[in-house]
Amino acid sequence: MSGIGLLLLRATRASLPAGARCLRTGRPCPAFAKELFMGKIETKDVFPFPEISNEELKEMNQFVGPVEKFFSEEVDSKKIDQDAKIPPETLNGLKNLGLFGMQIPEEYGGLGLSNTMYARLGEIISLDGSIGVTLAAHQAIGLKGILIAGTEEQKEKYLPKLASGEHIAAFCLTEPGSGSDSASIQSRAILSEDGKNFILNGSKIWISNGGIADVFTVFARTEVVDEDGDVKDKITAFIVERAFGGITHGKPEDKLGIRGSNTCEVHFENTQVPIENVVGEVGGGFKVAMNILNSGRFSMGSACAGMIKKLIEMTAEYACTRKQFNKKLSDFELIQEKFALLAQKAYVMESMAYLTAGMMDRPGVPDCSIEAAMVKVFSSEGAWTCVSEALQILGGLGYMKDYPYERYLRDCRILLIFEGTNEILRMYIALTGMQYAGKILTDKIKAIKRGHAGLALEMFWSRFRDSLGRKVDLGLVGKDGVVHSSLQESGKKLEENIYYFGFNVEGLLRRFGKTIVDEQLILKRVADILINLYAMTAVISRASRSISIGLRNHDHEVMLANLFCTEAYFKNNYAITELDKYAPENMDESIKRVAKQVLEKRAYVCSHPLERTF
Amino acid sequence: LSVHLSQQTLADELMPPRLSQSEVELNSNSNSSEDARTKATFQKVVEVFCKRDIRRRGHVEFIYMALKKMPEFGVEKDIAVYNKILDVFPKEIFVARNFIQRMFNHYPRQQECAIELLEQMESYGIMPNNQTKFLLLQIFGIKSHPIRKYQRMMYWFPKFKHVNPYPVPDPLPQDPVDLARHALQRIAANFDARVVVYQLPMTELTEAGKESDYPYIVGIQSPEQRSSLAQHNPDRPVFVEGPFRLWLKKTCVYYYVLRAELLPPELRVGKAIDPERNFYYPMVLDLDLGRDRLDDMEFDTDEVEEGPVFAMCMAGAGDQVTLAKWILGLQETNPILSQTPVVFRLSPGPRELQPITGSDDDGEEEVFENQHWKHEL
Repeated sequence: MSGIGLLLLRATRASLPAGARCLRTGRPCPAFAKELFMGKIETKDVFPFPEISNEELKEMNQFVGPVEKFFSEEVDSKKIDQDAKIPPETLNGLKNLGLFGMQIPEEYGGLGLSNTMYARLGEIISLDGSIGVTLAAHQAIGLKGILIAGTEEQKEKYLPKLASGEHIAAFCLTEPGSGSDSASIQSRAILSEDGKNFILNGSKIWISNGGIADVFTVFARTEVVDEDGDVKDKITAFIVERAFGGITHGKPEDKLGIRGSNTCEVHFENTQVPIENVVGEVGGGFKVAMNILNSGRFSMGSACAGMIKKLIEMTAEYACTRKQFNKKLSDFELIQEKFALLAQKAYVMESMAYLTAGMMDRPGVPDCSIEAAMVKVFSSEGAWTCVSEALQILGGLGYMKDYPYERYLRDCRILLIFEGTNEILRMYIALTGMQYAGKILTDKIKAIKRGHAGLALEMFWSRFRDSLGRKVDLGLVGKDGVVHSSLQESGKKLEENIYYFGFNVEGLLRRFGKTIVDEQLILKRVADILINLYAMTAVISRASRSISIGLRNHDHEVMLANLFCTEAYFKNNYAITELDKYAPENMDESIKRVAKQVLEKRAYVCSHPLERTF
Repeated sequence: LSVHLSQQTLADELMPPRLSQSEVELNSNSNSSEDARTKATFQKVVEVFCKRDIRRRGHVEFIYMALKKMPEFGVEKDIAVYNKILDVFPKEIFVARNFIQRMFNHYPRQQECAIELLEQMESYGIMPNNQTKFLLLQIFGIKSHPIRKYQRMMYWFPKFKHVNPYPVPDPLPQDPVDLARHALQRIAANFDARVVVYQLPMTELTEAGKESDYPYIVGIQSPEQRSSLAQHNPDRPVFVEGPFRLWLKKTCVYYYVLRAELLPPELRVGKAIDPERNFYYPMVLDLDLGRDRLDDMEFDTDEVEEGPVFAMCMAGAGDQVTLAKWILGLQETNPILSQTPVVFRLSPGPRELQPITGSDDDGEEEVFENQHWKHEL
């Protein structure tokens, strides 16, 4: 059936009017998230909620059907988890559906999906964590290097086979040492004497698909002569085929979750890599790696949402049939609360994911890396809470290996760790914004510090007005507003949060300047607020659109949106208060000291409660 | 019989002179029973005193004398012995019976004597136990001065018991190698630092019949020190310096360090962070804004910069030959040392200190001269 499926998909694509999705040139879109740091909101980026055309929608639904069918009928997740291996039939099925080349352009034999459509398919693929990770390692990072930085020859040579799934790709960056520190990369590529080949040596660890891949994107140190004539070690990206020889891999790692995905060490020993296989420039590997990592994250939002939607179905079934004390489980308010949480989280994740995907699909080369990182952080953490809550609904049943729930729990734990841990991404989110705001505000802050009377007075005046209960108006609500009036309250809350957030960012820059890089507790809060702001924007935008065009059950959406916005508003207010140095809520100093003492002793410090001195 | 006799003499020695004038003369003979100065004899003496006279005449003098003699018998840190001495007081007669007695100093000499006893306990850091409390209650009754003293001690002692964040083991290890290991770990204050025993102490008889000593050598080095030594420019010499003193309770030990001079300012490389260091987030912000003065919580201090210390050791002897063996041992883990000139900058140190700190035992000084650890009583 699958082969036919693929043919069907290709046929539908061919029937599309030419140029339906080819309008991607022109202005780069200004990043929405960065403007939030200035206390402003770029409404035209996020309102209205991005849409796809009717043709695209129809086409997508034709994609979705067979994939959904395949996943419900032919994927045995339990067996994959137990055997720690995806059976070849399943892999073949995936290949036939074209799922190995979702984002590879059609001229190279891929499906050429837009980010939005990729996100949509991600919802289904995520129903099995192992398959999701295998596919993501293949195309979200493994072959992304060729896609975004490869030459025409490289694309022609590699992409067709990768798209068909004949070859599987892997991304080899992490080495023993640490994952995010480029200084830990010890692999080395030396130019051979004839200058035609690089000779690659080194070991990589925890490589997804490492044991089954045929094409690797490998990062290694090379010697580069810079402008001053100094020889420097710089990182270069290479496309390495297994056929080049000298590649061995360790046995698959035994993991907590996503057990079916293949993760192992990969060793390169005197592997000859032709110089044509350098991705980007020699010595330009750092940028390539960063771009790949930044672009691969947004799809996690829809994947998590897909998983939670499935979980809601499964747990609701249980809650509505199981009886306790002659009452259905679903009649207990504490159980109802959990379902409200699941629905709310799924709604927010979905909104964020598709807003980001829509922004990325805009013409030009929009830089949505902060937004993508925010989606990743929010959805991975949301998924973990939701799965845990779902397990709670099921009680002891959820804990049993006979049911799939514990597998979901194990599988989704990795989401908080890979593709940049959430801690690291929070630093990225906060620091990138701080850098942007800092550049703009430097002159103003300097002037204030020098004692510019006018500016100081202006600042004092605005603070004074705020203390009198100023109404923040950023143009979201009201007569010319973009927010539907049912969401007016949420819109106002968002505006207020954004305004005071911008105000606090300025304060932080005045206080810490560039040394803010070391204030991780503050940066974490900044990132958390920003994530909430983006999530609020996404749900308000989506719900406004749903009401306006009259989608089914839009009243439910409005409730979810208002629910989330109110919660997030108070969380933001709290976090903003915590940013204040003298606020009683700010416990940073104590936190740091406790941690310091524990780490000095490398143990729990307190005496045992039964201990006595006399 | 002879044991009994010596106990008797000791008891006499402790007797207040006013009581048994004639027996005091025996004091001069007491040297004969020097070896019997133990806890058991001390306790026996106290018992003998208690049994001798039902009225316990002269018990205040006896207690003062006993307190004075405690260190000689090595029982100054024994709570049981203090309780035993306290037990000498006759019970119940000193307890105040009415408010007037309670108001004034009832039996002042006895109360002062008991306070003296508690004060001696305090200065040796001995915490009173329940038996002390019961004895004091029995002897002086509640609200007496000794009980007040006891209560104050019980208020402060537990609070101060663990006040030292870096406690020294009690008792200290007797083996010099163990002691050195402990002392080095204490100075290094680094969990990752590894202690290596380069040489165990031993004596070897050579063919010529001469004894040759191999003093112990114990060294410590942390991974950070190893990597900073690896980055050291081998053209610049490293120095072995010492001995430096470290006191552990009443024991003094000496250690040596391997260090380098501070690089002259023109050779120091600035540690700029490579902008391509972190794949995920910027490590430095490109901003022309510093930290605000009000948020700069650092104290304005003048710091004297010193050269790096690469390793430390303790050795049974402070001569260059022994320390060279340490450097040789270090070379196994730090290959760069074999290319780096090592200069020994040893001060005469402990040899000259010896006569001042431990001059009372002439016979032992010879032994101590070559041993860089020493236990003072």
